[in-house]
Amino acid sequence: MSGVKPEDTARDGFDQIGKPVPRKEDARLLRGKGTYLDDIEVPGALHACFVRSPYAHARITGFDLDEAKAAPGVVAVVTGHEVNDWTNALKMAPPIEGLQPTEMTTLPVDKARFHGDPVACVVATDRYLAEDAAELVYVEYDLLDAVTSYDAALADGAPLVDETLPSNLVSHQKFEAGDIARRKAEAYRVVEAAFAMQRMTHLPIETRGCIALWDDGRAHLTMHIGSQAPHPMRSMLAGRLRLAEHQVTVASPDVGGAFGQKIIVYREEITVAALACRLKRPVRWREDRLENLSASLQARENAVKTLAAVARDGRILSLEAEITEDFGAYCFYPANYLARVIGMILTGPYRIQDYAFEVKIALTNKCGAGPMRAPMAITSLVMDGTLDAVARELDIDPAEVRRVNMVRPSDLPYVMPTGEKLEDVTPSECFERGLEEIGYAAFRDAQEADRDNGIYRGLGMCNVIESTTYGSAFYKAAGIPGSGHEAAWVKIEPSGAIRASAGLMGTGQSYETPYAQAVAEGLGVDPAQVDVVLGNTDISPYGMGARGSRGATAGGGTLFLAALDLKAKMLDIAAALLGLNSPSELELRGGQVLRHVGGAWSETGLGLGDIARTAYMDPLKLPEGMEPGLEMHRAWDPPQMTYSNSTHFCAVTLDAATGRVDIDRYLIVEDCGTVLNPLVVEGQQQGATVMGIGGVLFEHMVYDESGQNLCGTLADYMIPTACEAPEIEIVSQNTPNRRTPAGIKGMAEGGIMGAIGAVNNAVNDALRPFGVVAERQPLSPDYIRSLLRVTG
Amino acid sequence: MKPAKFEYHKPETLDEALTLLAEYGDEARVIAGGQSLVPMMNIRLARPDHLIDINGIDDLSQIRLENGSVAIGALVRHREIEHSAQLAQACPPLPAAACNIGHYALRARGTIGGSLALADPAAEFPLMATLLDAEFVARSGAGERSVPSHEFFVSVFTTALEPEEILTAVRFRTLAQSEGWGFRWFSRRVGDYALVNAAAIVALKDEGRIHRIAMVLGGVGATPVRLTGLEQESVGAEASAGWVREISSAAAARVEPGGDKHASAEYRRELVELLLAGALEDAIDRCRGRQAA
Ligand SMILES: Cc1cc2nc3c(=O)[nH]c(=O)nc-3n(C[C@H](O)[C@H](O)[C@H](O)COP(=O)(O)OP(=O)(O)OC[C@H]3O[C@@H](n4cnc5c(N)ncnc54)[C@H](O)[C@@H]3O)c2cc1C
Repeated sequence: MSGVKPEDTARDGFDQIGKPVPRKEDARLLRGKGTYLDDIEVPGALHACFVRSPYAHARITGFDLDEAKAAPGVVAVVTGHEVNDWTNALKMAPPIEGLQPTEMTTLPVDKARFHGDPVACVVATDRYLAEDAAELVYVEYDLLDAVTSYDAALADGAPLVDETLPSNLVSHQKFEAGDIARRKAEAYRVVEAAFAMQRMTHLPIETRGCIALWDDGRAHLTMHIGSQAPHPMRSMLAGRLRLAEHQVTVASPDVGGAFGQKIIVYREEITVAALACRLKRPVRWREDRLENLSASLQARENAVKTLAAVARDGRILSLEAEITEDFGAYCFYPANYLARVIGMILTGPYRIQDYAFEVKIALTNKCGAGPMRAPMAITSLVMDGTLDAVARELDIDPAEVRRVNMVRPSDLPYVMPTGEKLEDVTPSECFERGLEEIGYAAFRDAQEADRDNGIYRGLGMCNVIESTTYGSAFYKAAGIPGSGHEAAWVKIEPSGAIRASAGLMGTGQSYETPYAQAVAEGLGVDPAQVDVVLGNTDISPYGMGARGSRGATAGGGTLFLAALDLKAKMLDIAAALLGLNSPSELELRGGQVLRHVGGAWSETGLGLGDIARTAYMDPLKLPEGMEPGLEMHRAWDPPQMTYSNSTHFCAVTLDAATGRVDIDRYLIVEDCGTVLNPLVVEGQQQGATVMGIGGVLFEHMVYDESGQNLCGTLADYMIPTACEAPEIEIVSQNTPNRRTPAGIKGMAEGGIMGAIGAVNNAVNDALRPFGVVAERQPLSPDYIRSLLRVTG
Repeated sequence: MKPAKFEYHKPETLDEALTLLAEYGDEARVIAGGQSLVPMMNIRLARPDHLIDINGIDDLSQIRLENGSVAIGALVRHREIEHSAQLAQACPPLPAAACNIGHYALRARGTIGGSLALADPAAEFPLMATLLDAEFVARSGAGERSVPSHEFFVSVFTTALEPEEILTAVRFRTLAQSEGWGFRWFSRRVGDYALVNAAAIVALKDEGRIHRIAMVLGGVGATPVRLTGLEQESVGAEASAGWVREISSAAAARVEPGGDKHASAEYRRELVELLLAGALEDAIDRCRGRQAA
């Protein structure tokens, strides 16, 4: 590999990296000048509306489309009978032991598998008429029994969600390291604990949607669609539509949130694209909120039971975990994808070598599940919650139990039992700092005194090891198909104007600002000079996209490398222009070439503009053999994983009469390595933590026993608003990662992991005097009361 | 989420609106603040053929103090009630209720007439209307009639209003100097409809005995539930902490709340006991405060 090596890029101080530069994109986004999908005007575009199954599980016995086709403004009404002929099915059959291969046509023709399953599509001249006509599509159904829980799915004689499979158990794997039986025999006690998270959904403010434009002359499809991963999406789209990749452009406009919901291409979008190609007319689709809540992508519904063999002092000798997940009706992702990561990183920052897990995933008649910001969210709750269970059972202080188990600085690098390697992390430093900041001992005293007065306070702690970036080696090790590399280019135009691009696309979290800083750092210019353009596959290089907290490390890191390479070329040119033999004494700063002579930096009179002009307009002045122009492309495959770490502390008051939980204080100590932009990082910490709190206390996608989705509006599916968000105190530590450009690590999901654990653990701490433990989320007042009621 | 086709009318006078209603009957719906009707139309739960926008009608937006009562026009927005100095003085439970409805934007548009005509059993104004013996003024082409609150609320989202009637105003009784009031609610988030709410008015005499009392619960049935029987049993009782406990637990035992995804029936019953006790305590405290003043 040529060019600058990532591990050679760490430095003590940076000029641009780490500066609190205000978000560049806010100038347009906050003034209503962003361009979201609905801001794109397409004259003559047709509007699509989907007809969805009102039943959770039903055989489709017939369609009657005549009336709908005759309705005003209707151009086409199609079902899977046509669309499946035009498109390829999605085969989900990676060679993974214990994973059942599945296949999904673009639209179902034989049966509907969940309430909301799309069964027909109406295209009309406007959305109102499309919805009118959709009401006239008659689908005949034969009702089938629905399976609506993990347990029901695996019960004897359960109806099959996917009739091509032998059972609803779509994935089953086991892992064991060390000698569990022996550790259990040696143990002082074996402590059991149970944890469960409810079904949730991503809930981006902007729902899914797309505009498909077919250029019949060039045989080319342009797909405007909010996307986290435009290039993989284009590959998928081309494959499903039987087009070559060069026949498809994916152009992502500004995106109003995604959280994992906008990575893959869905059945609705393939249908819309196929219709645009067939009708040779632009077709657009905007998912409405009801559809987004009931038929988009859902997540989380998983449960973990642990068995911890412990010594008298609380040391964990071995840990077993049984991980189960309700994956819904369809496999949009390999079914083991999410739970596998849970298993791999479950032991977190704790010294455990004897470890086993078993993962079982079931299909049910609910909306399909997939990754949602922190797909492995439950891990920290499970691990720290298990430690709390140990503390309760052995009557040891929970902070002490964490201490005796924690990976110490001297243990690093620490290889987890699954082979994952922890290095450049600071769990014990962050934890101790957190204890100090929160005033641990004083809290315990006050808590004791308050209890005597009928005030129940709780303190929850959660130590998070956050897996970020996910290099290709991880996918290989985890047995999941995929690459983790990312690509970037940086170009300087003849005038000296700077543009940069990477393969991933932001969805509101601010990529443009930190990326401009990374490029500016690499080049030696001001970030304001750097224009970052993302999201269009004709412009951006092929990268794997935004997910798994890779934005900073994979995106920012690759851009930084490309910029460093380009700077090296510029300095070579500068040396030639200055008549020097080598650029070793030269540096670019603030767009000016400086020379180190006599122990000090002095100006050379040469600037970036001169170099750019020479590179393009006067190539004969370039060093011998150098190509004209200033364009640099880099692709970089990050390490298997980069780990950030944090500790979350949450203090709550529990109203025993109503079961209501109030958060009194929230503190995070986080080490996410080199930070590109602290404002953006803080926004992510706050946002992720609030999203985590939402999961613990409010969000719940409820299905009834027949599989009806009961959460079709935002009055039903409750997310925290600004009123429910606590003040969050953040203490930062910054230990660079030695293997990544500039020492960046990645973050933005750990806040969820930490909050899910800290809030839940806090509530259980408050419940302690009652002798009950909350074992499932959300911790609704009603649920808390149901626990307290039995205690009288 | 687009409404079915409808025709939009914007009458400038009440008579014009009533003529339209007479013509279209149950094919028409009145739209006031639109905060509840528009979402229902968007998910096509409501599909009127004719929408009659009453926002242009001038004389529905007044708050008028009369002798012993206050008449509030149907188009008065939640925000106005929340901030009305007159009401804070004459009928403080109304501003207290208004400021608890939804969020700021909603309160700026939503109207008291819309809230009452909607008749959500957990909503604030129906609760207060039931507490304050409201008289509903309904107009149609045929004339005007007055409906007492116990007849107005028929069931969930159902009132005694006829399709060709417009609710023009609601008359609430004002509070006497000797009366204290209390209002408690429980919702999971700020701005949500309450899972349960409770309000009470108490007047004391003879060193702390109940002279007059009104108690109402929301979110526990198809309409707000006035605890008439318990009110009668309470007159003459000593307003002690023990009595408050007794009466609230008696109320909890008598109501028949339903369960749904937000809360079980059992939980709602627990809330009834807590919230009614809180409302009574506040009412008694205010009453004593007023007497002392
Ligand atoms: C997010 C959200 C949160 C909310 N939270 C609360 C809450 O906490 N507490 C609460 O009490 N309410 C709450 N509401 C309801 C809110 O107060 C409603 O907007 C209000 O109750 C209806 O008033 P409106 O003027 O918007 O009526 P509209 O939506 O215009 O109309 C509602 C109904 O009343 C009819 N109507 C309106 N005016 C008249 C009239 N003068 N004569 C005859 N019929 C009429 C309409 O035909 C329609 O059927 C909430 C609503 C939302 C959307």
